[in-house]
Amino acid sequence: MNKKEQMISELKLIIKPYIQDEEAFKNLNEDTDFINDLKINSANLVDVILDIEDKYDIILDNESMDKMLNVKAALEVIKTKNAEKK
Amino acid sequence: MIGNDIIDINETRLFTNWKRPGFLQKIFTESEQEIIHASKDPFTLVWRLWSMKESAYKVYMQRGGSHFFSPTKIKCMLISHQKGEVTINSTTLNTNTTINSNYIFSTATINNPDIDTCIFQLTENNCKQQSNFIHKQVLNNFAKNNSLNCAELLIQKTKTGVPTLHYKNKLLDKSISITHHGNYAAYSILESSGNNITTQNNKT
Repeated sequence: MNKKEQMISELKLIIKPYIQDEEAFKNLNEDTDFINDLKINSANLVDVILDIEDKYDIILDNESMDKMLNVKAALEVIKTKNAEKK
Repeated sequence: MIGNDIIDINETRLFTNWKRPGFLQKIFTESEQEIIHASKDPFTLVWRLWSMKESAYKVYMQRGGSHFFSPTKIKCMLISHQKGEVTINSTTLNTNTTINSNYIFSTATINNPDIDTCIFQLTENNCKQQSNFIHKQVLNNFAKNNSLNCAELLIQKTKTGVPTLHYKNKLLDKSISITHHGNYAAYSILESSGNNITTQNNKT
């Protein structure tokens, strides 16, 4: 498993409790949209963000949150925030 | 332009913990947090404010806005038990909220006109079946109220996910907003200004 695949499977674990469309979850890829595809309700998207903060020990400010609409953007944000930490 | 949002109280109690550390700070401005902390019923206030923000966001999307996820940029002010004001990107919207023991329901509009709203209970659990059921309800009711042939009515979504009503392959000059959460769903329809299709001759 390369790094990106590993991050996607970590992210899948985080979002699993909040998804409402199992089929879209099974087919999850970088273009999967949290709200439109996975039908995560927007209040639970806040939970996803808090879970990501806890898991990676990063803080997602408003600007980063703003982008957290799909898998690709979430991976980008995690990567950037992780790099800033070092 | 119309936006609406329904919150199933039971579903929310079960699946969303607003007391989770960091949760309120991610969603609410400092002044909103202050009124939540001062409230005797913070649960209801949290979700009333949230539904106000969601309904305002839907109006913003109808006006051609692009998606963003920054709930603190959408600012709420409470005017009365029902009425509120929400500011989003320098546009202020009027909101109206109904609260009972089952749900919290808000609508947002620019100038508070008469809104045709219908709230109903869902029986299906699967999200696709729910969505089909809701669309059917909207189309059946709308056809009946406007004496249109339901078979020629259609809901389509724009690229940004905004629902639109079509009759005989023509876009209708109406704003529509659809919401569902848990066991409840609602739709709200608003007459847009001008250019309405004439419906008298379309009775079947």
